[in-house]
Amino acid sequence: MISLTIDGQRVEVEEGSTVLEAAQKAGIKIPTLCHHKALRPYGSCRVCLVEIERQNGSTVQTSCTYPAQEGLVVRTNTEDVLEARETIFELLLARCPDSEEVRRVAAEWGVSETGFTKKNRDCILCGKCVRMCEERMGRAAIGFVGRGSNKEVTPPFGTPSEVCQVCGACDFICPTGRIDLSEVTSRKPRPILSEYNKGLVSRPAVYIPSPQAVPNLALIDREHCARMLGRSCEVCKEFCEADAIRFDQQEERQTLDVGAMILAPGVEHFDGAKRGEYGFSHYENVVSNIQFERMLSASGPTEGKVLRLSDGHHPKSIAFIQCVGSRDAVTGNKYCSSFCCMAAIKEAILAREHNPDAQITIFCMDVRAFGKGFDRFYQRAKEEYGIEFVQGMISRIVGLPRSKNLRVSYVPEKGERVDREVDMVVLSTGFQPDEDLRRTAGKLNVQLDAFGFCRTNPLEPVQTSREGVFVAGVFQEPKDIPETVMQGSGAAACALALLSDVRGTMITEKTYPPEHDFTDATPRIGVFVCHCGTNIASVVDVERVVEAAKQLPFVGHAEANIYTCADNSQDHMREVVEERDLNRILVASCTPRTHLALFRETAREVGINPFLVEMANIREQCSWVHAAEPEAATGKAIDLMRMAAARTARLTPAAPEELPVVKSALVLGGGPSGMTAALSLAAQGFDVHLVEKEQELGGGLRDLHYTLEGDDIQAFRENLIAAVTNSGRIEVHLGTNLVDIEGHAGDFLSTIATSRGAKLEIKHGVLIVATGGREFKPQQFLYGEDPRVVTQRELEDAIANGEPVVGDRDTVVMIQCVGSRDEERPYCSRVCCAQAVKNALKIKEKNPDATVVVLYRDMRTYGFQEIEYQRAREAGVLFFRYDPEMPPTVSGREDLVVKFDDPITGQRKPLRTDLLVLSTGIVPAEDNPHISELAKLPLDEDGFFLEAHVKLRPVDFASEGIFLCGLAHSPKFLKENIFQAMAAAGRAATILSKDSLLVGGEIAWVDGTKCVSCLTCTRVCPYGAPTISFSDPHRRIEIDPVKCMGCGSCAAECPAMAIQLHNFVDSQISAAIAAMMGAR
Amino acid sequence: MPRITVEDLDKIAERARKATLLSEGAGRARITMHMGSCGLAAGAQKVMEALLEECERKGIQDVILTRSGCAGLCSREPMATVELRGEAPIKYVELTPERIRKILEEHVLGGKVVEEYFLREQPVQPPMEPISEEEPISGVTDNGFFARQTLIALRNRGLIDPEKIDEYIARDGYRALLKALTSMTPEEIIQTIKDSGLRGRGGAGFPTGLKWELCRTAAGEPKYIICNGDEGDPGAFMDRSIVEADPHSVLEGMIIGAFAIGAHQGYIYIRNEYPLALEKLLTAIEQARDYGLLGGNILGSGFSFDVKVQRGAGAFVCGEETALIAAIEGRPPEPRQRPPFPAQCGLWDKPTNINNVETWANVPPIILRGSEWFSSMGTEKSKGTKVFCLVGKIKNTGLVEVPMGITLREVIFEIGGGMPNGKQFKAVQTGGPSGGCIPAELIDLPIDYERLTEAGSIMGSGGMIVMDEDTCVVDVARYFTRFTNRESCGKCSACRDGSEALLEILDRVCEGEGKDEDIALLEKLVKAIKLGSMCGLGQTLPTPVVTTLKYFRPEYEAHIREKRCPAGVCKSLIRYLVDEEACTGCMLCVKECPVEAISGETKQPQTIDQSKCIKCGLCYAVCKFDAVSRT
Repeated sequence: MISLTIDGQRVEVEEGSTVLEAAQKAGIKIPTLCHHKALRPYGSCRVCLVEIERQNGSTVQTSCTYPAQEGLVVRTNTEDVLEARETIFELLLARCPDSEEVRRVAAEWGVSETGFTKKNRDCILCGKCVRMCEERMGRAAIGFVGRGSNKEVTPPFGTPSEVCQVCGACDFICPTGRIDLSEVTSRKPRPILSEYNKGLVSRPAVYIPSPQAVPNLALIDREHCARMLGRSCEVCKEFCEADAIRFDQQEERQTLDVGAMILAPGVEHFDGAKRGEYGFSHYENVVSNIQFERMLSASGPTEGKVLRLSDGHHPKSIAFIQCVGSRDAVTGNKYCSSFCCMAAIKEAILAREHNPDAQITIFCMDVRAFGKGFDRFYQRAKEEYGIEFVQGMISRIVGLPRSKNLRVSYVPEKGERVDREVDMVVLSTGFQPDEDLRRTAGKLNVQLDAFGFCRTNPLEPVQTSREGVFVAGVFQEPKDIPETVMQGSGAAACALALLSDVRGTMITEKTYPPEHDFTDATPRIGVFVCHCGTNIASVVDVERVVEAAKQLPFVGHAEANIYTCADNSQDHMREVVEERDLNRILVASCTPRTHLALFRETAREVGINPFLVEMANIREQCSWVHAAEPEAATGKAIDLMRMAAARTARLTPAAPEELPVVKSALVLGGGPSGMTAALSLAAQGFDVHLVEKEQELGGGLRDLHYTLEGDDIQAFRENLIAAVTNSGRIEVHLGTNLVDIEGHAGDFLSTIATSRGAKLEIKHGVLIVATGGREFKPQQFLYGEDPRVVTQRELEDAIANGEPVVGDRDTVVMIQCVGSRDEERPYCSRVCCAQAVKNALKIKEKNPDATVVVLYRDMRTYGFQEIEYQRAREAGVLFFRYDPEMPPTVSGREDLVVKFDDPITGQRKPLRTDLLVLSTGIVPAEDNPHISELAKLPLDEDGFFLEAHVKLRPVDFASEGIFLCGLAHSPKFLKENIFQAMAAAGRAATILSKDSLLVGGEIAWVDGTKCVSCLTCTRVCPYGAPTISFSDPHRRIEIDPVKCMGCGSCAAECPAMAIQLHNFVDSQISAAIAAMMGAR
Repeated sequence: MPRITVEDLDKIAERARKATLLSEGAGRARITMHMGSCGLAAGAQKVMEALLEECERKGIQDVILTRSGCAGLCSREPMATVELRGEAPIKYVELTPERIRKILEEHVLGGKVVEEYFLREQPVQPPMEPISEEEPISGVTDNGFFARQTLIALRNRGLIDPEKIDEYIARDGYRALLKALTSMTPEEIIQTIKDSGLRGRGGAGFPTGLKWELCRTAAGEPKYIICNGDEGDPGAFMDRSIVEADPHSVLEGMIIGAFAIGAHQGYIYIRNEYPLALEKLLTAIEQARDYGLLGGNILGSGFSFDVKVQRGAGAFVCGEETALIAAIEGRPPEPRQRPPFPAQCGLWDKPTNINNVETWANVPPIILRGSEWFSSMGTEKSKGTKVFCLVGKIKNTGLVEVPMGITLREVIFEIGGGMPNGKQFKAVQTGGPSGGCIPAELIDLPIDYERLTEAGSIMGSGGMIVMDEDTCVVDVARYFTRFTNRESCGKCSACRDGSEALLEILDRVCEGEGKDEDIALLEKLVKAIKLGSMCGLGQTLPTPVVTTLKYFRPEYEAHIREKRCPAGVCKSLIRYLVDEEACTGCMLCVKECPVEAISGETKQPQTIDQSKCIKCGLCYAVCKFDAVSRT
């Protein structure tokens, strides 16, 4: 080791180190531009100057090239050094005034303007590219030519090099963006396009697949890594501080012994280029919806800005083209991809929010907003955001060579061909299973359908053709997020049913050291500031945050980590806590939502109460949102950390209690959902009380006869009831209603009563609400007045019973959206379109010569239903779109006449019909409000139950221990009800499988001396946690620690300030605010 | 030719003397034509051909015709030295074929010196004899160009035929090598060089003996030595002249150095723009190899050494040691960080010693005559002599070798003969583009490393550019800055972009567009360039600006504030006008004007059309009546 002195600080470094490395080791900042860790020192930019003391005076040298020598005395901030450096920065700024890197580094050292003539050259001749190519890649395909001001980087003789291996390392490492690979190489440069960013940008050969990747680790792309391809490089090795790069790593095969398997591989997106007429991959300003999503993402390649790829301008007009590669006989993708309409509407709204002046048009066949709340969203897009929807398919798109605009040609429903010029086109590409899936399915011996999706039975929607192998997500059928999540939980429930015998056998109980009592100890906080790789450190000066932390009261230790959450960092944290005798931990990093649990766990492992751990979010709330202002962001990070530290010093421990779990469930509703949920729970080994208000099981199944695919629903119903009856674990309570429920997750006490008043108390750990819905009974279109007017269900009944519904040459008219998508019920009932298609086909089967007319607004036959819709059209069923402003009218004396606007001629046409079928919607069950009140469960605007999160938690209620499924949630098909019921059972099992629940911790408590029993808290609490204590003579409020979710609503609202939330007490919050204000 | 032994050297010397010395009966007379690059450029080849023809025609047998390198006074070339047996040699200058024929007729054959062409201040020509150890090598006349010169590095200039190794041997050539190999240890040699006080003549003046010692003691084998012959300063040609006139002196120095250092391979880096020097050098190497003075087991000593010649492609920066090494290695000539110094990590990363041509040429006499002899010359810290190239606004342009400590006045006025046309001496730029501009008031400055540095300049490789009152120092600074900007290797931002910025400012000052803050900007820049550059080129490139700013600041201010060039050089700032009173209408200026800007009737005052005038100054120069004025 060599010892030298830098700015008065002694530093020890290894022989062969440079002065710059020594300074970096000592934490002394020196600017660099031409220096690169993986390259030999070069010393051309001259900004890393330092002064080196010598016997006969001092000398100014570049620290990156000057060898560290024993006893060397170095100063980095003398007047000479600073002056010369400033002038050199000015020279470089004059040379390359547009280089961001030069400007950034210069600005860091206080130089933002130059006094010299600006040259607008694009290269600072740092030689990184040349060195990279020669030293690392062993190619020397580029080099310097010329002298003095004429020096430049070029391949030999200025002609593209033949030895260039097109690795792009020169381009990658260039700080000014000077390198144009096409000038360097004689071959065609092929950037590695980022899969995650959908080819909008390139990525290096070492990369993290996506910011959400699990595990969030970098990997080397074997097919592009120069080293892996047998050449030199190994640059990554120089940078990996953990020494984790292993070039000799081989593919490993692992054998896992499993009892069940779930396939959730997803599918690919349709390649827009296969529809050549849309110009995707040909015209720069035609992008796919997924690319557009990446643009909208704040962490995406355009940082959330919608930009034209041709010129980086904000588009003033955007056209979305729907059904690209979906509902498409040309490519064979006849199915509907189910998600693209809503995705387009969302993207259109976001684009509009980005640029309120942008004109946005969605070209589509039908707007398939069939999901829960979707139609409202669609209406908002039209009404609030002014998104234009044009029914009509685009025949072709032509790129205009000069403006790079796009001419979109289409034929509207009424009228002639229209050409419209737009700035940007977004293709709503659908789903498409790929070849890999076929191979995998082949190996697994799982059958696929003709398109390559996993074949399932509508009545067993997660079961593949192979026993024990289940499927979830879009691999089964195209679907949106809520259904994907439901199906995932449903598949898990099915798998767990097979594994109930061995549940929990692989768990090893973790033991913790006894917790230290720090009650009287002075707080000693350990502050860990995370670089999060470059996520935080590229914006926030982490070292300054650490330095600021060291100055704060009660801080016993502060340090920075590259990744505080990494395993080795956790080991280190444990060591530091013990070494430095710390009793509180503050991590300044990302959101507590993802990592607080981890740091609490670490604290527990060293005997610190987990509630003495705090986090300051300097990533999502700082570096990510203030990326453009590093200086201000650093200030904010320090403030956030300072506030958190003030709080941390005042945190108090909490001891959650363990409450035993009652291992049985109560399922409310004996329809298909309730029965399926009950059976799933029973199969998983739990006892179930199935409460049905009717005298028999079956619910809505009683009125259905066949599925669109042709399955016999009545047989299914009988089997289901038999299974329930024979289960042995399911106790069926027919003719009973829920009259009371109290308790909390893991320990509910419900009272059910028969209509005659017989009551029964049931203890259960979870509640599943499966109360169903019902058919809308219309009062228009002569329904109930004219016997020739029926509902679809009535028609289905008649068909199933073999009644002669129509004559051979009769006419049947079906009107869609009766009682749906109107002012009173502004939601889509989802099932009616397919129902109409189903029944129309049945009629056509029996009476091929009958005329069947369907009057619709949008045909919402999503997923594979689309194929049946096409079949119906092929079978001669006539579909006419009607405008809700000009709905069909029905008159009937002798002849039943339907009048509607012919969309082609625009004229209103009378049509005599023999049968009018109304496609009526689904409405919520009548007793939903009653149950909502009893169990404190929220309802949505339409009267269906409201889940915890529409997309991500579709079967959970916000209150723990209560789940929902079926029509109680929203209108949907039988198969969807089935997997949602399974999902509810799966989610419920996460509680039932535990012996006890931990309660308490960060929850609210009442100061009895202040409580005036005003009941404000009971009204604001979404979970029903505060109640009047009847054991208290003063009848004050008490809070059920199990029900309390720690949201703090009661504490905030309590007029008497009698309620405090643990670790969010006033003194802690005031301290945090004071810390911040004091900083200003 | 057989390989020679130690004894053979004497025989060769004897033989050579017999063949060349008139006193030994070699002939009745001897005509030595000086055919260095300067002589050839002035027409020496034609003169030589005329001489040969004339001798042939006249059937002259007893006159030895020989050729040698430059005799030093380049401004008077072509030159020849005529020596009759028993008489002092006479130098003739500015020869033509007619003149040489006349000299042959009247002097060589007729015995009468032709005074028309004869050099007034004749040097005492040392005879082609061994140099006795007692007597000094010098021995030149006591006035004029050759006065005060002391020839060590240039000891054989103009005397021997550079293509004849025997003539070199006859003048004690390779005696020092013999002495070194047979009676000295490497350590003793190094000690001798250290004691002599010899310092590197390439510019920086690092003690040569110490440099050798560092390389000798550095870890690593093999070791290399390099002769730096990449002379790139504008107005400097001492190395070229030495190699052209006396290549063996360099080779002998190198072999001695190699022996002392422990190197077995040497490189001579010589620029390809010196074709004559290259030719002489390659011939010399062949001859030395034939005599076994290069190659294996030199003079039977068991020591082996050989040299390779590396031709440079003409980059000024290759004079920098590490850039030169890079060039030899086949890489772009870019300097690199020192330390490590070449003595530790040089050519192919091995210990390497680099000295320039003049340094190597100094080595043999030191070894032969001892360190004290050498160190007796010069000043306290600068020993021996130094070769200077005297150029610019001076009467005697040429190569002079003078003892250290001589004053500028002696060199410029006594040796150089002062300014032509009675102009006033203004300044002298020493050390080439890296050097500084020393003003007239420091004319009595003694020349040595330390004093020049104190004055803000450097010794450099020995360039000495003399300026008279008609020289604009801002223009001079601009000239050198332009040179260094073009010759910068372009690696260091400070040097590359700094010199460019410097040049831009100087350009605008010369163009009359200078701003008040430009002087401050120049001062800020020169500091950054000096501190921020890696090698000597960059570190010293501001010196002309620094010294002119230091000594001639008012001239800068005149350019910037008054938009006036006091020396009348900067074209944008001057105007030529005809004085109507003085103009006689002789029309000479009208004839000379290259752009027909002057017009008027005969015998009437002329006028200059300023829009056409390109300010070439011809009218000013040719007017016999001082009627053209420059303002």
